[in-house]
Amino acid sequence: MTGKVALYHWEPNANSGKPMLALAEKGVAYESHYTDLLSFDQHKPDYLKMNPNGTIPVMKHGDRVLTESTAIMEYVNEAFEGAALMPEDVQDRWRIRWWMKFMDQWLGPSFSMLGWSMFVGPSVRQKDPAELDAAIERIPLPERRIAWRKAISGNFSEAEMAESKRRVALGVAMLEKELGRHEYVASDQYSLADINWFNSTYSLPLGQPDLAGKDKTPNIMRWLRQVYHRPAVQETWTKGRTDLASRYRLVMEEID
Amino acid sequence: MGTMTLYHGEPNGPSLTVLAALYETGLDADLVAIDLSIGERHGKAPLGVESAMSIEGEGPVLEVNGEAMADSVFLAQYLDERAGGAGLQPKEPFAHWEMMMWCRYIIERVAPAAAYLGNRTHGTARLKTLDDTAFEALTGAIASEDLKQRWIEVRCGDFDEAKVADSATKISEAVDKLEARLADGRDWLMGDFSIADLESYAWLAGMVSVLSSAFNEAENTAAWMERVKTRPSVAAALARARSDDPTSAWAPGPEINRWG
Repeated sequence: MTGKVALYHWEPNANSGKPMLALAEKGVAYESHYTDLLSFDQHKPDYLKMNPNGTIPVMKHGDRVLTESTAIMEYVNEAFEGAALMPEDVQDRWRIRWWMKFMDQWLGPSFSMLGWSMFVGPSVRQKDPAELDAAIERIPLPERRIAWRKAISGNFSEAEMAESKRRVALGVAMLEKELGRHEYVASDQYSLADINWFNSTYSLPLGQPDLAGKDKTPNIMRWLRQVYHRPAVQETWTKGRTDLASRYRLVMEEID
Repeated sequence: MGTMTLYHGEPNGPSLTVLAALYETGLDADLVAIDLSIGERHGKAPLGVESAMSIEGEGPVLEVNGEAMADSVFLAQYLDERAGGAGLQPKEPFAHWEMMMWCRYIIERVAPAAAYLGNRTHGTARLKTLDDTAFEALTGAIASEDLKQRWIEVRCGDFDEAKVADSATKISEAVDKLEARLADGRDWLMGDFSIADLESYAWLAGMVSVLSSAFNEAENTAAWMERVKTRPSVAAALARARSDDPTSAWAPGPEINRWG
């Protein structure tokens, strides 16, 4: 398969960061389409024509349109030459898939709930309420409509927030233990699992200092330092536009 | 590569996927039948972090090289790859992406709904057979707090009506999706037989009796279900049933998505 690669992404962070980093590791050049989550670009008609679910990121490869960040990464690894981002060992491959699912479906949503209540909600709340309401009505998935309404009104219940905090603390402890067991997440080589986890955990020492830091989580700090210094990470982080990007520098000043 | 021991429940849901995948590959494994519906996984199967914290809930455990592996789709991929490619996954990257997207849809949207409805119909009655002491011993052995909570809800019969309705919608939508997918006359969901057929069938087979209305007039789906059921690997897995109707065997599964 040959053809131009185009990526519709937000910040090099969480889900958008996954295909950005995978493509950079493989050395695949791509046309970058910055899609502003905070302006609801992903719910505009042209975007919905491309991805009816209205989620970011989307990758086009020739005529093909791919969605879901982890599945896109797996495609990128299989479809392009360059560094292998999955090991040969079949048990390592199983473990990598397990850790990615655990992040995508169990831990990630809790990170998002905290992140949205602290960052996305307050950023979006500045907009005109009528415009916001119309934007939310365009969101195709009912679950996402509810999530946006809660994020914007700061309306996550105490029980929901407490459960998310519990999961984040447990997930961080599990990661620390895992990085004592393996050099990287789920295996001893850099893989898609590292890209997956790094995108949601790089700022932990800054955002959750009570959970992660030099003294509390030495394995995580060692791993963050290793990943941070990869050229693909450095290059990808220059594509950020919000102050999320400047947070990287602050984290790394702390751990280097 | 290390010998394999598979701790599996009745051939329904994730246990069916993995048993059938094993038979597809022709690989050898020691099979240990345990009763997932009364929580024997916590006690009779070896559990490591990935099996104890598996968000699939009460699925089978495959022990290899002292590691307790879990999650049915990934176990099926493991078996396929360990066999050097037994044909359970498309090789072409885009076709592989499509299969993984289909499986993700099943495990994220359909499986939680099926588990919710299956446990409501069958699980609560099954757990009444455990007295309080036995049930407390069970929940005390469960490492995952949210999984433990789902066990408690099933035993109490504490099912939220909004979630019941939403789960029924999710199952109906899955049947509609199958009908559309099979409308071009194909035998299998991805063209060639794959893990997508196993995982979809494994979660939906038990819904035919629980939510028969969803399957009315779904002729393509009915014919596909019959093809999957009579495929030698699936028939061999079903032959391992210890009960009359394995589609009524349910244990707490994946949670319903917390926020979309």
